Amino acid sequence: MKIQISNISKRFGKSIVLENINLNAYAGEILCLLGPSGAGKTTLIRLIIGAVKADTGTIIIDGKRIPNMDSIKTIGYMPQNDAVYNDINGYDNLIFFGRMYGLKNKKLEQRVNETLALVNLTEDKNKLVSNYSGGMKKRLSLAIALLHDPEILILDEPTVGVDPVLRKTIWDEFDLLCAAGKTIIISTHVMDEAAKCQKAALIYEGRLIINDKVETLKSKTKAGNLEDLFFDAQKDGEKV
Amino acid sequence: MIALIIRIIKQMLNDRRSIALLLLAPILIMTLMYLLLGDSSYEPKIGVNDNFPQSILSVLEKEDVTMIILPDDEDMNAKLENKEIDAMITADSQGMTIRMLEADSVKASKVTDALKSAMATINPAAGMNLSFIYGDAQASTFDNLGYILLGVMSFFIVFLLSGVSFIREQTTGTLERLMLTPIKRYEVISGYTLGFGMFAVIQSIVVVLYCQYILNMQFTGSVLLCILIMILLAFAAVATGTLISIFANNEFQVVQFIPIIIIPQIFFSGLIPVDTLPFHLGMLSYIMPIYYGCTALHDVMLKGYDIGQIWNYLAAILVFIVVLSVINTFALKKYRKM
Repeated sequence: MKIQISNISKRFGKSIVLENINLNAYAGEILCLLGPSGAGKTTLIRLIIGAVKADTGTIIIDGKRIPNMDSIKTIGYMPQNDAVYNDINGYDNLIFFGRMYGLKNKKLEQRVNETLALVNLTEDKNKLVSNYSGGMKKRLSLAIALLHDPEILILDEPTVGVDPVLRKTIWDEFDLLCAAGKTIIISTHVMDEAAKCQKAALIYEGRLIINDKVETLKSKTKAGNLEDLFFDAQKDGEKV
Repeated sequence: MIALIIRIIKQMLNDRRSIALLLLAPILIMTLMYLLLGDSSYEPKIGVNDNFPQSILSVLEKEDVTMIILPDDEDMNAKLENKEIDAMITADSQGMTIRMLEADSVKASKVTDALKSAMATINPAAGMNLSFIYGDAQASTFDNLGYILLGVMSFFIVFLLSGVSFIREQTTGTLERLMLTPIKRYEVISGYTLGFGMFAVIQSIVVVLYCQYILNMQFTGSVLLCILIMILLAFAAVATGTLISIFANNEFQVVQFIPIIIIPQIFFSGLIPVDTLPFHLGMLSYIMPIYYGCTALHDVMLKGYDIGQIWNYLAAILVFIVVLSVINTFALKKYRKM
């Protein structure tokens, strides 16, 4: 499904968080939102999922302007904080969110077990989430986002605090989902994660600096280092 | 919605402190109040001078009091101060004077009751019999005020519990996540109300039965009707708690609402007769669910009214629940703009 972000601006009080963002995401591609913390990545994500309303501009998902109820069903969202229920076990968390997305009976059971296995939580599924480690909560949160097999995945820093082995498993899964034609948007401030995506959008101080294929972006820098693009943007900012 | 209710039940069952707050706290408070305000077999110690008329003294001694005869020159105030005696009765040509340390209703009424009954023994024509249309003179303070505690407590505890757990859902981000699933806003509100309402139902049944069978509280009317009133009041408490927490940003802000939302309602619960208030302040009671709940409880428990006589109070609480739930459903737009 195609996501079209046009002329989006958002301010909280007096501070401008996002300024005139234009960006598209396509099916079968992983789009990486790259930027330092405070750049506006999370706000952009919250705009796409419809949690906050833009001051100006439109976001269209599969031809429908958001917010709308149909689009919500097609999105799997993983927020930056864990957003899981601490006082029930991992399994019950997944069952609950699965039911919210209308999964039932065998299908629900099957998807819950699949995603538990994917994030390597099958053994701990009956433990109370309050006894989970930070990384386990993160994985449970990811499992919730994947649970209803959504066409669009929007993940806010999904691999922070996840160990390298599991990180690779998770990225392999993203690649599989991407190959299956899902639209994936991932925010990160880690440059080498951006290298695993097809496209990257660099966001700095609420502005979209550049948005292109990762390969193209790399060729624009001397050492193939995406970070250099931020330093360039910083210099440009100083000139103005 | 069912899934939401199941989740709330599972969360509560994993949270033993909340269960204890819900069930043990009211039982503890009711027991304490029973011991403090209930009938006591305390015999007040009454001091008299040695020139006190012997005729009165001899009948007083037959009452449930302990008479202490003191020499004329004793410092009575010091005796009262030291709690050696509870009251001092002196008699002269002007009549009798009772002096006590402070306006303590239980001891004062015991002393005057004893004196009244003694006077009636001497001169039957001077006897005074107190009678009430509802309730009887023998009922203890606990019997007369217990209904306020029942109403206020169930409202307060359920308000606290539902308010804080709803705010917790906001601060952990699960509410936002929930609002980004296809669930309808009214389903969230009704799921919450019913989920916590179920625990309120259990609380009401346990507390009312405890008061009836263990504390022997006076239930002139139907106990079932009392439970029904308390359940409705608790549902109103869930709705109030949810409303407050939607507009609060953290747990502390919910607690800050207690002096505004709960305490004024306690004054209008029947503790003070609202028709004596100046400037039509009594009208304020019409916007307070506890007023309706406690008045209905009062009418059933003390006057023995049936559902036909208190239906308007029940209807008023129902209106509160419905109106607050509708407001809450709209207020959830804070999390999803549709």
